[in-house]
Amino acid sequence: MLDTAHVVRRVPGRKSSGPARSGRRRPRLGPYLLILPSLVIISVLLLWPVLQIGQMSFQKVGVRQLRGEPAENVGLANYRQILGDGFFWTTFRHTILFAVVAVTATLLAGTLVGLLLSALGKRMSAFVAGGVLIAWATPPVTAAIIFAWLFGTTGGLVGWLLDLLPDWLAGSGWQDYNWFATPLPTYTVLTICVVWMSFPFVAVSVLAGLRTVPGELYEAARVDGSTAWQRFWKITFPLLRPVFGVLLVLSVIWDFRVFTQLFIISGLANRDSFNLSLYGYSEAFGSLNARYGLGSAIAVVLTLIVLAVTAVYTRMIIRQEGVA
Amino acid sequence: MVRYTKAAAAATVLAVAVTGCGGKKTGASVSGGDPAKIVVWQMGDGSPEQTKFLDGVKAEFRQKHPKTDVQVQYIPWPQATQKFQTAIAGGSGPDVTEVGNTDVQSWAEQDALADITTKMSGWAEGKDLSKGALANDQMGGKTYAAPWYGGVRAVWYHKDWFRELGIQPPTSWAGLVAAAKKIQDKKGVPGIAAPSDFTNGILSFVWANGGDVATKQSGTWVGTLSQPPAKEAIQFYAGLVSKDKVAPDKYVGRNELQGPQQDFALGKVGMYMDGSWALPQLEKVNEKDAKNWGVFPIPGKSGGLAPVFSGGSDLAVWKDSKYKDVAFDYLTILDSKKNAQAFASTLKFLPQFTDVLQSGTYKNDPIMSAFAQAAASGVRFTPASKGWADYEGAKKVVPNAVKAVMQGKSIDGELKKADEQAGSLLNQ
Repeated sequence: MLDTAHVVRRVPGRKSSGPARSGRRRPRLGPYLLILPSLVIISVLLLWPVLQIGQMSFQKVGVRQLRGEPAENVGLANYRQILGDGFFWTTFRHTILFAVVAVTATLLAGTLVGLLLSALGKRMSAFVAGGVLIAWATPPVTAAIIFAWLFGTTGGLVGWLLDLLPDWLAGSGWQDYNWFATPLPTYTVLTICVVWMSFPFVAVSVLAGLRTVPGELYEAARVDGSTAWQRFWKITFPLLRPVFGVLLVLSVIWDFRVFTQLFIISGLANRDSFNLSLYGYSEAFGSLNARYGLGSAIAVVLTLIVLAVTAVYTRMIIRQEGVA
Repeated sequence: MVRYTKAAAAATVLAVAVTGCGGKKTGASVSGGDPAKIVVWQMGDGSPEQTKFLDGVKAEFRQKHPKTDVQVQYIPWPQATQKFQTAIAGGSGPDVTEVGNTDVQSWAEQDALADITTKMSGWAEGKDLSKGALANDQMGGKTYAAPWYGGVRAVWYHKDWFRELGIQPPTSWAGLVAAAKKIQDKKGVPGIAAPSDFTNGILSFVWANGGDVATKQSGTWVGTLSQPPAKEAIQFYAGLVSKDKVAPDKYVGRNELQGPQQDFALGKVGMYMDGSWALPQLEKVNEKDAKNWGVFPIPGKSGGLAPVFSGGSDLAVWKDSKYKDVAFDYLTILDSKKNAQAFASTLKFLPQFTDVLQSGTYKNDPIMSAFAQAAASGVRFTPASKGWADYEGAKKVVPNAVKAVMQGKSIDGELKKADEQAGSLLNQ
């Protein structure tokens, strides 16, 4: 996933600054030598562990095995145990639903802010961009702790604000409302937190894309009496389609495997709110008797889902680019 | 910024750890000659009191081993499990470590801790260690750790409110509800905190009613939560939230530290259950109210005291340590009667020496006496199975069952599921 992210993310930048594609001609050795060091590092840090996870998912692995005892091969037992567990499907549903909602919200908020940034003057645009990038730069742990406080029961800012609103509008008793007792409110907070952290990247990417669109197009459209809505769908969106495609894939990848924020705001004591990552973590590391085999199997399932989704979209993007 | 999947990141760590440990198989003691330093793991965040105490222990240790430096590393409790696992896998452990008393069996089973049976027999003061606590550190006739400090839970309350409202410390479950209701009516704050992620406290109610999580029947663990005594107790505890409504919904899915403790200190909840060790934390939140806090033991259903779970810490020598003899020397100094008592006092725990406990030191302490009283009435441990770590750590069976009941799910269904889990997890 690491390498995909890198390669895919480079696309918008390259299109905007680099010369036209010339890689179609005979392959040369030079470029490959240049990426060799990063390939080596990636395979040591990523490929090797991924292969290990794949292997471990067919084994029974605990701490003793890590000390050198041979691991027992159990075939498909880990997968059978997971897929036969009704709880797996609960976490699966949570993962998918959350990804759908969070990705949509992220792209929507990011695009709107991107458009806003391009409409603002130079200085204001830099100011706003700097502001939203702070949210993006915030480490997930920090963000999760802040949101857990915001929605907390003792001195939580959100409960306090909602209680300040008139009762007919917001109801009352928010100060004592437990946001993390049931899945729906938990995921509401989680969505806000994750979208807050990830929309700035979308916004800045959209802004970068917009900078590449020739101003004459908009001017001509304006002369013809178009509305802003039309200009977006007839000019901006078609031209930035590859950018949106990449952003969509990246958001899907990120939101499918959200772990840190949920782990902090909800934790292991609320199994009814688990997603796949948390389920895998609880099986592998939740108890003193580590079960890396089972946890690996869950990680493999999660990875396969993300890969499948990514593959579909990446194909779509490549096709569209080929046509364009 | 590229975010790894958590599993991949963890696997990276493990992969590195595995390859790292291939070369050096440790375990053989290097005898003779003092090492340049030994590494000691202590749980917690290194409070000034803790640091000062350990500096004193180090000075005492260095009188005997002047050439050896002592390097103390603090490990926050929530990270202890992973730190241990990584260290076992990678051979990068300490020489001496603090270890939670409920974890000793699991870690010993996983080859983390050294067998110190023979060393213990040569330690004079060690002979006075509490037999019950020591039994918890023994497996198959061998000793893997020495009890260091321990404590039990009881109910914290606001003495001034009780005085004002004419409430006596309750001695029955009905009395507990009545007191909570009165506080709720007169003070406008929730009467009592009943968090659901609170297995060790919830079990007191189960034990008080003659029930248990699981019992061993002819060599096999059988879950017993769905049987009447345990069921009635769970129903009572969950009912504090759902039926009697004297405990708020805001602690559902939480533990006693995620809200109740702070709220109690700030006067936003009438009573809450916690150990004596909570006092330093409570004072940190609201020191000027400290004189108004009191403690009474968790009551039995219709009188008497509920048996309590004994939590605490033990000290062990790491199995991969190269300097086990020196490490054990340090352990005996850290756990000497004088030092163990001094440290237990700063943490508001009790030392584990029977003669010290019986010496009457704690009789006149307004806070500690209630805890000592509770401990005297009967200390219980959770099932001595390696699978308890899965039942409580990974699956959090009791917290999730209690949470579901608090939220209106069928108690019979939830407890039946819990018992099935006990059957499969405790017998592995």
